[in-house]
Amino acid sequence: MKFQIIKNKLLGLIIPLILYVAWDFLTSREIIPPELLPAPKVIFDTWWDLQSSGELALNMKMSLLRVGFGFLLGAISGFLLGTAMGLWKPVELYLNPLFNFFRQIPVVAWIPFLILWLGIDEWFKIVFISFGAFIPMALKTLEGIKGVPASYLEVVRVFEYGWFRVLRTVIVPSALPSISTGLRLCLSEAWMLVIGAELVAAGEGIGNVMVIARRLFQTDVVLVGVIVIAITGFAMDKVLGLLETRFLGLHRSQNAQ
Amino acid sequence: MERLGTLEVKNLNKKYRSQNDDLLVLDDINLTVQPGEFISIIGSSGCGKTTFLRLVVGLEKGYEGEILLDGQRLNGPSLKRGVVFQDHRLLPWLSIEKNVGMGLKNPKSGESRKTIQEHLELVGLKGFEKHYPHQLSGGMSQRAAIARALVNRPEILLLDEPLGALDALTRMYMHQELERIWMKEDITMIMITHDVDEAIVLSDKIVVMSSRPGTIKKIIPVPLARPRDRAGYDFANIKEEVLAEFQLHTDHPFTYSI
Repeated sequence: MKFQIIKNKLLGLIIPLILYVAWDFLTSREIIPPELLPAPKVIFDTWWDLQSSGELALNMKMSLLRVGFGFLLGAISGFLLGTAMGLWKPVELYLNPLFNFFRQIPVVAWIPFLILWLGIDEWFKIVFISFGAFIPMALKTLEGIKGVPASYLEVVRVFEYGWFRVLRTVIVPSALPSISTGLRLCLSEAWMLVIGAELVAAGEGIGNVMVIARRLFQTDVVLVGVIVIAITGFAMDKVLGLLETRFLGLHRSQNAQ
Repeated sequence: MERLGTLEVKNLNKKYRSQNDDLLVLDDINLTVQPGEFISIIGSSGCGKTTFLRLVVGLEKGYEGEILLDGQRLNGPSLKRGVVFQDHRLLPWLSIEKNVGMGLKNPKSGESRKTIQEHLELVGLKGFEKHYPHQLSGGMSQRAAIARALVNRPEILLLDEPLGALDALTRMYMHQELERIWMKEDITMIMITHDVDEAIVLSDKIVVMSSRPGTIKKIIPVPLARPRDRAGYDFANIKEEVLAEFQLHTDHPFTYSI
């Protein structure tokens, strides 16, 4: 059993390993020019330089702060809208069409408008991120509440529960897994958009490091940026995933109906 | 004090509205259930028996005629009427103990704890307090559901094919259990089923319904001593009487009359 699990995890490493070997081979023989694709070793050295000079940490801090604020703003407003639409039919009738219209707009399409309104400073980035984070959160919260099995609601109707007890006993526990998925989507969306925002408007931040490096043709720095972004995103999702298992626990695996 | 748990159904009609015309689901149902009686309602699929039960529970609205519990007209679901569904409907995020305590006003009080314990013992689930529904077998889950329905001492218990999802052996065992619980609690029970044996083993009266529209075709009393012998002669006679209502006459190739 244990062995099988480890084996399955190792299987996922095979292709990255092959790609790495190929990358090393192609760059060490200079089949691909180093200006376009530096060798893995060069990337590692560059990363180490950026790390030890504190440049990476400073820019990461800026990016993460923006993600934090944008995520909070988007997640809270998305949660509130999703909850309101899920619990009160009139709110859903009034707002859902508008929301569905809004969510068809790619978040990047808001960039010109947001820059006109907010300039290119922090508020632009935070609002932009929160726009993107808002949508999955609202959607998943609504879905979670709408997905509460009618059969469970019938049980508590027979027990003459008041609305608060219905909420506490059935709706919240039943909607929680979906809401938690919403949070994860919301965070990864926020992390993607912060990079987008930084690529568009200058300042500090990991995206901006990459923009400057591109202008100076420092392909290694650009790639370090890409890898750091990937690892950070992966780690953030993993942490939320662990929290989810920790708090939502085992007993939900067998949700009926 | 007069015993509670009398259910009177008078001239009950139920229609479902569709776009073109109304579909009559229940047509002129008249039934009186005495306190402490065990009644089975038997009929093929689509005869409206579940609709009837849901009306009595109060989960279905809009009917003509009268449904009275102890002389009072029903108005929505109530703690006075417990219900056990075919799917146990235990909440997967609550332990068995908490599931069983769902019907109590204040499940954490000492008195409630005692009631929960008593009911877990009643259905034979002592020791499973801290388990979760997915750790229980189908029969155990259904027993927990019965305990949950009884915990607030309803006047009448309605069972919608409660054993329909269980295998044949578990079901026979549950018949004994259900009979024992019914006798101990001394409560009115109305059970929907499509299992003729089950109906005869458990009921004082069997209500046979026919389909489209759902009407009561016949009410067959079961005057047999309990516990009932499934292989007995009287049992077989009643079974034949019930099956005859469904045009399912049994042939007797090896019997002859003298």
